[in-house]
This record gives sequence, structure tokens and C-alpha cells, in this order.
Amino acid sequence: MTIAKDGLVKRMRSIAVPLMLMLVIMAIPIQLTKAQAKEITFNVGWAAAVIDTLNPTAMTQMDGGAYNIAHAIYDTLVRSDTNGNPVPDLAESWTYKNATTVELKLAKNAKWHDGQPFSADDVVFSINLFLAHKEFTFLKNTVKTIKSVSASDKYTVQINLKGPDSSFLAFRLIGVFILPKHLWERVANYTTFANPNPVGTGPFKFVRWGGPNTFVEFTANKEYFLGPPNVDRLVFIYFTSYSALALAIQSGEIDYAGPLFSPAVVPTLTSTLGVQVISRPDQRYYYFCFNFYEKGAANPALRDKNVRIALSHAINKPELVTAVWSGYATSQHTVIPVSLGDWVNPKITAYEFNLDRAAKMLDDAGYRVGADGVRVNSKGVRLSFKIEVPSNYAQEYRSAQIIANLWKQIGVEATPQLVDVGTLADRVMDWKHDTFIWVWSAGTGIDPDPFLNMFQGSEAMPAPNPGFNDCGFSNSTFDKLYEQQIQEVDPVKRKAIIWRMQEILHQEAVYVPLYDPLAVQAIRSDRFTGVQPGNIPPLNQFSTNNLLLSVKPILVSPQTTTVVTTTMAPSGIGVETMGGIAVAIVVLAAAVFIVTRKRITQEKP
Amino acid sequence: MLTKAAYFIKKIVGVLLTIFLVLTFNFYIFRILPGNPFALLFRGAGMSSEVIRDLNTQFGLDQPLWMQYLIYLRNTASGNWGISYQTRTPVWDIILPSLSNTLVLLVVAAVISITAGILIGILLAWRRGTKIDVTASAMTLVVYSMPTFWLGLMLLFVGVIYFGLPVSGMESLRGATEGVFVQLQDRMRHMILPLLTLVLGLTGQYVLVMKGALLDVFTEDFMVTARAKGISNRKLLWDHGFRNGVLPMVTLVALNLGLAFGGAVQTETVFSWPGIGLLIYRAILSRDYPVLQGCFLIVAVAVISANFVADMVYPLLDPRVRTQ
Repeated sequence: MTIAKDGLVKRMRSIAVPLMLMLVIMAIPIQLTKAQAKEITFNVGWAAAVIDTLNPTAMTQMDGGAYNIAHAIYDTLVRSDTNGNPVPDLAESWTYKNATTVELKLAKNAKWHDGQPFSADDVVFSINLFLAHKEFTFLKNTVKTIKSVSASDKYTVQINLKGPDSSFLAFRLIGVFILPKHLWERVANYTTFANPNPVGTGPFKFVRWGGPNTFVEFTANKEYFLGPPNVDRLVFIYFTSYSALALAIQSGEIDYAGPLFSPAVVPTLTSTLGVQVISRPDQRYYYFCFNFYEKGAANPALRDKNVRIALSHAINKPELVTAVWSGYATSQHTVIPVSLGDWVNPKITAYEFNLDRAAKMLDDAGYRVGADGVRVNSKGVRLSFKIEVPSNYAQEYRSAQIIANLWKQIGVEATPQLVDVGTLADRVMDWKHDTFIWVWSAGTGIDPDPFLNMFQGSEAMPAPNPGFNDCGFSNSTFDKLYEQQIQEVDPVKRKAIIWRMQEILHQEAVYVPLYDPLAVQAIRSDRFTGVQPGNIPPLNQFSTNNLLLSVKPILVSPQTTTVVTTTMAPSGIGVETMGGIAVAIVVLAAAVFIVTRKRITQEKP
Repeated sequence: MLTKAAYFIKKIVGVLLTIFLVLTFNFYIFRILPGNPFALLFRGAGMSSEVIRDLNTQFGLDQPLWMQYLIYLRNTASGNWGISYQTRTPVWDIILPSLSNTLVLLVVAAVISITAGILIGILLAWRRGTKIDVTASAMTLVVYSMPTFWLGLMLLFVGVIYFGLPVSGMESLRGATEGVFVQLQDRMRHMILPLLTLVLGLTGQYVLVMKGALLDVFTEDFMVTARAKGISNRKLLWDHGFRNGVLPMVTLVALNLGLAFGGAVQTETVFSWPGIGLLIYRAILSRDYPVLQGCFLIVAVAVISANFVADMVYPLLDPRVRTQ
């Protein structure tokens, strides 16, 4: 019986034809209309951030995509420059009438995107709005120290503070978005207001949003009061995978990529023509935390300061920077990230890495090495700890493993454990953790306050602790100094207090600060220029406008008319991926080869 | 033997009971997970403890569990699926666009892979033992067992570098003011890589099930009789073989179409496709209970409904089933 070419094969052919047609259609490069081709668009790729809402009052994540969007649309009274210092934005100038009163003179030529003029009424309205609503997650904090606000005339505003506030300008006012009174006073329920057509005074006007976690499109505000941007359109595109983001900037689909590439991707990016990698210190630091809260459930050995200092002697920080971050980080010795410049007390250095010294200190503290290799004291307390690491920090898990290995050599048993973020947060609130590795990052602006407020005694409460204190430190001298620095407006005196506070924390070995990773971003330097030098990453949560306003296109002629320009040569693929593809082909070929060698004869029906 | 109506009613009651159980399970499983949604926002956001307490009260999380459950049941039934903890927008407004994005991708992928799966399965069953069968079966297994994430990334690299396809998302934005054809073309270009990833991953199971089912049918006596009667190859294959062998496929297709509502997290992550899979993943990390409950309910209802439809279709295809 012959197996004729029956209907089956014919059917397959008939499907193949339309399929081929579809593929051909798709392959035709898209031709843009002439008008579009002349516009300069700056495409920003942003990974691993959530764009949750267009309503700034409802934003929940500080480093979320929505925060950056808000900065493009809305202005604040003061802005952060590339070194984190407050510079004028909607407020042209300001004076302190006394320690608790600030008078700000506003820009006279600012306009809302719908054409209405901006005035002091909008400022008063916005600040009062944030003061009145406790549920505005971020905005409530930015106005925390304000008692009242009033407009002296059309372009002058007076803010009365509850008490002297040293970080008012650099830290709080930077995060206060000014909203248009004439539109927002009509809103009934701020919590559920979606703000579908945001109107601000900012350099970019909102055009459209593709929905949560897709993209946001803007057009330049040609009448921006500080001068129009150098690009016509801006698009923020959200990526869910860093590999895709790296590929996108290499292929030219986007012009800027952030916020933080991992060190592994950097070599590939630097070797691609037309891509420039920008590494700047980031305003955050990773730390190793000891739980020595009196009423906590941690290993009681941690309550002995000498044990903590001994363990600090057994951590090799430079090794962590090299092994875990491939050198793209700076060792951290104090609780203020190194990128904060002079707020960091330079006299504080790490507890010297010396395993013998660590071992001796543990001996002196009464912990002798037991039969199982783990130190134990006369009361039976063993030096055995868990090191918990949030599951989204793969590099910190490696740090934990390296630390555990070092500690094993001095008779301390440590077990690294990955824990889901939510679960870890719960455990910390219940004081159930021994030690963990986590991160602290800056708030709305550059100021040492957010890195110190968690050490107050008032932040450490019995479980479930809603405060920030995660180590159990409580010291009345420290608390007094904290209150002092909030009110000290003289920067020199304030710095001295901040330095003293760091000393106290260091002497008590509350944490082992580990490292401050660099923020790695990338720009298509063959198309755009204008990234300003500075101490903070060009695109971060509190100063997007430094980049958005300064960036300008290089090419004068209109962009090419095809949507995607593959400027990337195949050599841009990393060695790993070439290897991956090669392995795949070999496996497939081998499978086919092996399989076709066998001859199976069966009875055909 | 039940009448058609009785059969129908019995099935409906079963469906409703299952949905109720799912609702209950849905509710409790998220509450049992450690991690309070607002405390999570807290650590990164710098919120004070009073705000957290306020939010807890606002969203009713401070009430006893059984009370929250009853409120949940009442709200769900009346169409109020709540507000997302993370974005404070109604859950429906978040789920609906993500769901439609996913369905666009997964339904097309399902249709292609089902068709391809059936045809290839038939081909392999018909030509069992030949080189085509052995090679294709092996290759199917190899492709089917490739990890989706890896496959997606490989396709992404090849697609972007060699074919100039877009890296991510559903559309390139310059199409905003362009004509329909250009927009369509743009969407298709964005869709091809994720579609290919999904199709490669899904086709395998259809091929193998179809082939297995058909081979079972080929061994039946009536096939020999039909052949002896002189029925042509084509009629033999389609009217006798396929008609009987397709039954297991119906169940598989129904199940997969139902599960399509759950999205494909790995593919969506690699291609930044804003679908429901990604939504669920993010909601889990941030303990966004309302969104999670809404998504899981949708998936459950989809799977249950798909199975229900399959149950209804089965007796039409196979009269022997009606004796239940």
C-alpha cells in the first residue's frame, strides 16, 4: 500500500502560504511619514521599576517609574543639581526670615500645560493638600515639618516650619510636586483619582500612556519657563528584564538605559560602538545587620558588643567588592553612603580584617571552640547564626556565603538563607532575625537624615515593630544628637554632629556597612550628548531633569526613516550568548543525527 | 441515563460549587502568606507607623479574618473587586488591559500550536516508524523541554540582531499618528518573537497527544474492517481515525485555553509584554491581595468554564459519553 501525498500534506501547504505571507509583510521595514521623521525623540529604557500610577499623590514606590514620570511633568520649588545641592526651580530665590520661616520668590513666567498661568495660589494649594491627607504615602513626609503656608502676593510664598529643619530645602522641598489648583480642587477622591491627563508646569507634556508597565510618551513643553528641552519627544519605556534592556540599547532601539545595570553587563556595553557607559556613585549602601534587641529572638551572643566587633574584624570588605560587584562598588565603613560626600566621617575606617584578632576577641568574650568546631560559652550559647538575604538580591547572597566561609575559619557557624522580601520584612518587625543583609537608600534628595533616623531609640519598639530600627540600638546621647542636627541650620555645626553620631554607631558596631554600588547607566553617545558631570547618577529618582533638560541630539539631519536601526554588529553579542547558541545547535544536530541512525520498521495500518 | 437537561444542570451546579470553593481558597491562601502589604511599602517608602495603621484600617485589614471574608464575598458578587493596594486604582482597570494583552498573544499562540500540533501529530502517526516520524518526534521533545526563559532570550538575541525586530513591548511608539496598516505591521513585528517562543513551547504536547491518540485508534478492529472495505486513505484517516482520536485533544485544548488566562510569566518577562502573568508575579511580590484575588478568580473561572464547555461538547462528539 502506497502512502500517497494525501490531503494532509496539501492542507499543510495551504496553511504555509498565508504564514509565509504574514512573515513577508512583517519583514518590510516600516516607513514613517516625513513629519515624524524630523522630530527628535529621546527614548529612555527603564528596567525593574513599577509604573503604578500617573497620580503623584498615590505613588507608592520611591524608585518606581512613576516618580520619574512625575518629575518630567511636574515641577518642584527647588531641584537637585548634579551634586545633590538644592537649586532654584519654580522658586527663583529664597530667604530665611528666621529659623522657622522661609520666604520664596516664585518664577513669574511659568505656565501650566493647559495654558493657565502659574501663581503662588498653586503652591499654597498643593502644600495644604499634602498636609491634609495622611494617606499620600510620600508627599506626607515631604511636608512633615511645615506648619503652615501662605501667599504674600501673586509670586511670593511664605512657609512656616514647626521648628528649625536643617534638611528642609535639600531633602523635603525637593519632593513637593506643585499641582495645578484649578484642576485639582475639583477632584472628589484623591486616593482613587487616576489623573489620566496630568497637567504640570514641567519640561514635558504628557501625551499618552500605554497602561501600567508599558510606556509613557511626552512631547516637549516649548514654553517651559527655564527654556525648552533640546528634544521634541520623550518616551519612557519599561523593560522587565535587564537582558532585554541591554540588547535594546545595543541595537539602538532606545537612547538611554537605566537605572542600574549589574556589573556583568558592563563589559558588553562598553565594547559596543556608539554606547557610552556612565558609572556614578549611587545613594544607597548595603549592610550587614546584627539583631541585639533586648526583647528580640536573636542569638543572645549578639548582645555583646565585643562579639559584634570581633565578627566585624572577620569580614573582608575589599574582597566582597571584587568578588560580588566586580569592582563596581565602593567599600562602606559608616552608615552614610560614600556618595554623600562630606557628610561621611572620614576618620571612621573599617574594623581591620584580621581573623586572628577576631578569634582572640571571641576567646576573651568567653566563647571557646567546641568539639563540633563551633564556639560556645560556659552558658551553652553557640555562635551559630542565620544570615537572611532578600530573594531579589542575588549578589548579596554571594556576600553572605563569602562571609559565612570566613566566619567558619574562626569557629562561627553562619547559614545564609534567601528569604522573600515580604517574609523578611515581617520577621524583622517581629525581631526574629539574627542577622541579615539589606540596603538603605536615599529619599527625595541628598541628606544624611534618612540614613540616621532609624537608629533612634523611639524607632525600636516591641514586636510587631512598626519603626525602622532593625538592630535594636538605643542610646540617649545619640537621640539627643539626632534632635540637635535636625534643628541645626549651620552646615558646619551640623556636619560635626553628624560625624559624632557616626562615631557612636561605629563604636557600638551596630551594623557592618558593606558597600555602596555604582549606578551604571548607558547612553547612545553616537546620537545624544549633554550628560552633565556630577556626583549622582544622571537619571535617578530625584533629579531626572538634570538629564532631560541637558541632553541634546548630535545629528542635525533627520533620523533615518526605519523604526529600528540595527547599528550593532554581531560581535556585540557576548561570548556567553554565542556559546549558548552554539551549544543549542550542537545539541539539536546531535539529536537529529542519533535519531536518524536508528531504523525502525513497523507494520503500517 | 440522564436527560440532556438534567446532565446540564448537574454540571452547572458542579461549576458553581467549584467556583465558590476557589473563592474561599483564594481568600485564605493570600492571608496566610507572611508579609503585610503596607509594611512592605513601608521599608522602601519611609512611611511612618501611623500611616500604615491608617492604610490598614482603610482597607479593612485590621478586622477579623472571617469578617474580611464575608465582605470579600459580598463585594465580589456585586462586581466591586476592590482597589489595588499598590496603585489605588480599581482592580478591574488593572486586570482588564493586562488580560487582553495576554489573550491576544496566547490565543493566537494556542490556535497556531493546536493546528500545527494536530497536523504534525497526524502526520507522525500516519508515517510511524519512518525517518520523518523518528526525527520529528525527537525534535519535538527537544524543543518542548527547552526552558521557556532561555528559549525566549535566544530568540530575542537572534531576532533583534539578525532580523532587526523590536526588543520589547507591544508597540513602537512612533506609530501613534500613523495609519492602521502601519500600526498593524508594528504590532505584528512585536508579536512575532513572543509568539514563536510560545508556539515552540506549546506545540510539543499537542503533537504527542494527537499522535498517541491516533495510534490507539489505528489499532482498533474497525480500522482494519474499514480498510478491508476498500475505504480510501483519506477517508480512513479523517473520517474514522481522526474523529475518534481527537477526543483527548478536546480536553487538552479546553484546559490550555482556560490556563491561557493565567498568562505566561516567563515569556512576558523576557519580552516585556505587559500581560496578566507579569501582573500576577508583581502582585505576589507586593502582596497586592485584591489584584491577586481578582486574577486568580479569573483564571479559575476561565479554566472551569473551559472544562464545562468541553464537557458539553464531548457528548456531541462522542455519543457514548451520554450514558453518564
